[in-house]
Amino acid sequence: MARYDIAIIGTGPAGVSAAITSVIRNKSVLLLGSADLSAKLKKAHEIRNYPGFAAVSGETLGAAFAEHLSSMGIEITEDKITSVYAMGDYFALQASSGLMYEAAAVILATGVIAGKPLEGEEELLGRGVSYCATCDAPLYRGKEVTVIGYSPKEEKEAAFLSEVTAKVTYIPMYKEEPQLPGSVVIVKDRAMGIGIQDGRRVVKTAGEPIVTDGVFVLRESVSAGQLVPGLATDGTHVLVDLQMKTNIEGCFACGDIAGRPYQYVKAAGQGNVAALSAVDYLDAKKRN
Amino acid sequence: MVRKISQEEFKDVLASKVALVDFSAVWCGPCKMVAPVIEALSDELDGQVDFFNVDVDDCPEIAAEYAIMSIPALILFKDGKSVDMKVGFRPQAELAAWIKGELN
Repeated sequence: MARYDIAIIGTGPAGVSAAITSVIRNKSVLLLGSADLSAKLKKAHEIRNYPGFAAVSGETLGAAFAEHLSSMGIEITEDKITSVYAMGDYFALQASSGLMYEAAAVILATGVIAGKPLEGEEELLGRGVSYCATCDAPLYRGKEVTVIGYSPKEEKEAAFLSEVTAKVTYIPMYKEEPQLPGSVVIVKDRAMGIGIQDGRRVVKTAGEPIVTDGVFVLRESVSAGQLVPGLATDGTHVLVDLQMKTNIEGCFACGDIAGRPYQYVKAAGQGNVAALSAVDYLDAKKRN
Repeated sequence: MVRKISQEEFKDVLASKVALVDFSAVWCGPCKMVAPVIEALSDELDGQVDFFNVDVDDCPEIAAEYAIMSIPALILFKDGKSVDMKVGFRPQAELAAWIKGELN
């Protein structure tokens, strides 16, 4: 597979701006995200502080971004990145399509991912709490597991677990009726936290606690720290310096994920800085 | 160099002064990704730390003894005792800083 110079995750103002500057600086770019640009951008009623546009709707600005990208021949790859691995001199990006992309530098422009972790979730990660059914299911062969699913998309992971483990309890954190194999026990309750009880794990709910051997917490979008293992965050935002550098060499962040204020013009500006920093990083690497 | 060991050879971990054991499996994606990172780390810390790889499917008793519930699991051993664990993929710089901190 071709190794790109810069992979940019996110197609909001930060990601689009980063892609434009990277291409101007003659770098090969992999721009990943939704092709209809930022869904959030579309929702914006009116933006009044974006220079050049006295008053512009999010939809109009989004269309202008799309036109700008296409005029430069920049394509958007519609694939969801689930993990970014810092391999040392390059990054490997695992996508939900099953493809693995490679890039010498990475710019995170994913926007802020809402949703707080459950009580005990982070403390017990890897100690009876897992985010990856396909990774860890075989470790629970013959045991009982509980799946906390945040969207109907996670049901196929639960179905997979039911083929491997002795028992699966499924807690849907959404309104739709789950479609699962008959062997899966569905508990329509709200998961509140995860704890330890007599060497086993316990899922605290509004009602009866569920005692289990392992807990799989499956969300559609993962936090930045989960997306890029080893990335320093304050929980919500990635820690960056004024050059948009993160603690991982070659990895940069911009836009809402890099902190407040959540403004389009700030995101676009940071995207530009992140791209220029990535270019500097690549050039310095080439010299060595 | 990372040495892949069997259940019987695990005594070498316990006999080592400082050892890092990578618990993994062939079917686990993040394990595959962290393997070259551990290999590079073993070069960086050559002579200071012994590196081992344990396949949890081949060594179920050891995996159970150390309560491996998520892989890759990286356990640091000092004088045969497990002192700390990291779970999941980690960049080389983070692992190097972690182990060096434990060496002092």
